Amino acid sequence: MRFSFDWLKRYLSTDLDVKMISDKLTSIGLEVEHIEDPAVIFKNFKLVRVKDAQKHPQADKLKVCIVEDADGNESHIVCGAKNVCEGLKTILAMPGAKILSSGEILKKSKIRGIVSEGMMCSHEELGLSSDRDGIIEVEPDIGLSTPVDEVLGYGKGIFEISVTPNRGDCLSIKGIARDLAATGVGKFLMPEEVICPVSFKFPINITYENSESCRQYAPIMAFRVIRGVRNGKSPRWLKLKLQSAGLNSISTLVDLSNFWMMDSGRPTHIYDLKKIKGNISIRFARNKEVFEDIKGNEHKLLTDMLISADEESPLCLLGVMGGKKIACNDDTTDILIESGLFDQIFISKTGTILNLNSDSRIRFERNIDKNSCISGLEGITQLILENCGGEASETFVIGKQLEINKKITLRKSKLNNVSGCVIDWNVAKLILKKLGLEEIRSNELEATFLTPSWRSDLNIEEDLIEEVLRIKGYDTIRPQNIDIIPTDSDKILERKNQVNGMKRLLASRGLSEVVTYSFMKENYAESFKEDRSLIHLINPISTDLSVMRSSLIPALLQNAKRLLDYGTASIGLCEAGNVFYDACEQELHIAGVRYGNIRERSWLEKTRSADVFDVKGDAFAVLSLCGVDERSITIIDEAPSYYHPTKSGTILRGRNKLGHFGELHPKVSKLLGFLEKVVCFEIFPRELRKLNTQKPYSSGKVFPKIHRDFAFLFASKASVGNTMKAIYEIDPLITKVAIFDCFESSITQKSVGISITLEAFDRTLTEDEAQVVSNKIIKYMESLGGELRRK
Amino acid sequence: MTELERLQASCLFEVARCGDLKKLDILKNAILGKNGKIAEYVKELKNLNSEAKRKFGSEINSFKSKITEELNSKKQELKTKELEGKLLSEFVDVSLPPRPDHPGRIHPLTKVEEEISNILSSYGFSFADGPDIENEYFNFTAMNMPDHHPARAMHDTFYIQQLADNNGRKLLRTHTSPVQIRTMLSNKPPLRFFSIGRVYRSDYDATHTPMFSQIEGIIVEKNIGFSHLKWILSDFLRRFFEAKNLKIRFRSSFFPFTEPSAEVDINYEIQDGKIVFGIGEKWLEVCGCGVIHPNVLNYGDVDVTKYQGIAFGFGLERLTSLKYGIPDLRGYFEPDERWISTFGFPFSTK
Repeated sequence: MRFSFDWLKRYLSTDLDVKMISDKLTSIGLEVEHIEDPAVIFKNFKLVRVKDAQKHPQADKLKVCIVEDADGNESHIVCGAKNVCEGLKTILAMPGAKILSSGEILKKSKIRGIVSEGMMCSHEELGLSSDRDGIIEVEPDIGLSTPVDEVLGYGKGIFEISVTPNRGDCLSIKGIARDLAATGVGKFLMPEEVICPVSFKFPINITYENSESCRQYAPIMAFRVIRGVRNGKSPRWLKLKLQSAGLNSISTLVDLSNFWMMDSGRPTHIYDLKKIKGNISIRFARNKEVFEDIKGNEHKLLTDMLISADEESPLCLLGVMGGKKIACNDDTTDILIESGLFDQIFISKTGTILNLNSDSRIRFERNIDKNSCISGLEGITQLILENCGGEASETFVIGKQLEINKKITLRKSKLNNVSGCVIDWNVAKLILKKLGLEEIRSNELEATFLTPSWRSDLNIEEDLIEEVLRIKGYDTIRPQNIDIIPTDSDKILERKNQVNGMKRLLASRGLSEVVTYSFMKENYAESFKEDRSLIHLINPISTDLSVMRSSLIPALLQNAKRLLDYGTASIGLCEAGNVFYDACEQELHIAGVRYGNIRERSWLEKTRSADVFDVKGDAFAVLSLCGVDERSITIIDEAPSYYHPTKSGTILRGRNKLGHFGELHPKVSKLLGFLEKVVCFEIFPRELRKLNTQKPYSSGKVFPKIHRDFAFLFASKASVGNTMKAIYEIDPLITKVAIFDCFESSITQKSVGISITLEAFDRTLTEDEAQVVSNKIIKYMESLGGELRRK
Repeated sequence: MTELERLQASCLFEVARCGDLKKLDILKNAILGKNGKIAEYVKELKNLNSEAKRKFGSEINSFKSKITEELNSKKQELKTKELEGKLLSEFVDVSLPPRPDHPGRIHPLTKVEEEISNILSSYGFSFADGPDIENEYFNFTAMNMPDHHPARAMHDTFYIQQLADNNGRKLLRTHTSPVQIRTMLSNKPPLRFFSIGRVYRSDYDATHTPMFSQIEGIIVEKNIGFSHLKWILSDFLRRFFEAKNLKIRFRSSFFPFTEPSAEVDINYEIQDGKIVFGIGEKWLEVCGCGVIHPNVLNYGDVDVTKYQGIAFGFGLERLTSLKYGIPDLRGYFEPDERWISTFGFPFSTK
């Protein structure tokens, strides 16, 4: 909402300046988004008169003008506006002026070979309204020495405030002034109630078509006819007021209606009476009934939209927008004014379905003064009679005034409790009264108030408390510290910290953490979903983000691809995040990808590209952080179909899948634009929840270890890794098993070097004991098809 | 000078001028060896009478120990020299770079999430979690946003293609507030908890991404009100922004789920192109908060005659950007290498 300080002063008597009022507005919840200071804005603008306007020799649509200011200084200006002509008074932006619409600083320039020393401005260029049709025409009787801000009605400054959706009453100057006055910054100037002289009976018949259902959404409507008005250009004061509010001037009648809406918060609609055929009914639209709005756009209406209609067609979409058919123009002499009350949800639905926005809709949606149908009609009538002349009929009302005032009791104890401190009881009551609440009963412990008709947002005790604190000022409440209660063991936070620990671990291993969107491209997600069903969004923001991810891998790959495209040679990324599938299942996954060199090239050693065993190492590192003992794990050479069929594995503990790792299937990596192999892993920590991370520790003396190395020949496709786990089971003296060598010794066989560590916790082992265990190992390996290589 | 004395002098001279470990060995053999010079004198001993034998024997012994001592010390000297020479020949250019290390970086959201968790835990808040895929009941209805509330409109909320049930249509939560209700329903007050998580709104431009993160803090206790909210947030913001003198401004606002409601601003100034908090007269909004609306407590099954609540919420990306000067919101979710290396944190930072 935009308005000038001058306009505010219509309802507020105050000594405070723009800055102080602005701070107060922000404090009470009417946040000032910016203040326009005319002295700054119009520094390089002045009023000029066009002395001469000739066609540009090189361009048909341009004119070369000589303009003159108050001191007789002349400037040459090239202008493209149609309305530029000799004698016109307008506003000139000089070099250095900041054009409000574009934010550009104007410079002297050559236009088609002719120097232009400035620019004559349209309303749009000055940020006044959207009117860009020609340059501003200043009234001829205004002296050239008048400051530009005064000509444009800026007064001492313009506020732009944002009004929260609960405060429909503050979509009016009157409402804003009332709120400000309650804080003590000035006095609220209550407008006098007017009653206009009545000259004749209301001449037309207006009825609800279906009284009961229509009245549900339009409980009361008031009408009046005025005959003999003069419409046309608006008087200067009116234009200036609308300009300061960012509205275009259209015609006196329309401008007055807009002015009244901004001023009092009461929307009214003015019909050209002569264009109405017969009686008017207030009714629901017929299915697909066509309505042409004021801008000439046609809408097909639905049967739950409320309209006013004459005997031929719809006139107005009530509360939302008027129709073109009954629009007023300069020839209008007789008018019908409508001032109704419409249900907020109903208006909101109609506006949303038709995608129609208007200042009227915004106000009805946010609750207007429910008692303003008749008084508001008087107000606009008076304005019209004063500015357009004419004679008014009596007021005609259909429906009934609703009972709108609510009784709310405020307890002193509750006030103090919600505030968390002691609030002066009398101050509290005074604030509420200044806001228009009527105190009907009061004592030292509680007070009962009747809410005013314009505050339908006040419903419960807490609403009154908010009013007291808001107007008193949140800054007047002293912070009160809370008792610090030590938390019990926080399992969920521990879990979260554990996940953060995994991220740090992976980062230490060269994988940078990324956070990617939870949704992704459908055909992309399809390749990674396996047997899960994907969750689709009904209204995705784009087709690239249309299904929920069921795996972290694809987005990691996309990120890796972006890094690759920018020339990163060594890529490692990881993410911990939720995946979603089936019936809205949500599960935390941890995943990583590696591509390209495992590290930078170096003079010390050769680099190599990341492979399956790098990501297997990443996966194992994460598992080990969760306390998973490698011995409890089995690797099977199966993995989802987006992995390489043989260079990939699944990590099992018992029957639980703890994760996958491997090379991406070349088909998939090629599809995503990777030329070389990509390796990745996924861990599903859900399966790790019940783990005991404590390892047994045996205290006591330490005895020397014995090491033994073996080499066995195995069939080249044997899964030798899993046998390591079994070796531990052979004898309790075996404390460590490592594979130090593995190579293809022939087409069908591979040679595997195994290093065994033997250790007893109560004695030094003897050679004989070691030999016994060695023999057991050899026997066991032979039972698995291994053959001991003897030197 | 006796013959023996002459020999000793010449031997000592030989040892002293020897410059080579091998030669020293040969020399040692020539003097002390089986057939060495001393051995010759020892042989003579047997021809002497006992008196002379004793005297001459003692002279030989003293000669022997003297020469042995000199040999050993020469050997030590030569060994040291040899090692020094060997080490000098092992020159490496230590100015060459070490083996490349390529640690990854931690996402700034993770870092800030930890910072915030630490501060909130210190007040006795525990962590609460909730699902990203919510329903209309928890996301809107229970948060005192009735059916016609504009936020429910299609253009703000992502809905899921799945049949609605008793709790309404399925959607991606638009805020972390549903966690309030879920936690109230599964725990008895008094309650102090916070939640951090991803939320979703259908907005995509320079200052909005369709996914972002929120932090939500809740206290439900018998005596908790607006003044306490002011204390917690002031203390929290001063600690988070590491600015003891940070000014905090509470101004009235509107949220359906709090009454009274406030927005919180902090003061700042731009110095040398950088934002500095705690000085200057400019204000920046960082937080929304208020006293929990009784309707919300009712939906959470909290006895409103006994308990009150306060609630506050932050945008995680906004706090992160402000504290660490991260200009571009999209970088959070679509980073390039420079973004990661500039705004990511070393894995060891706490």
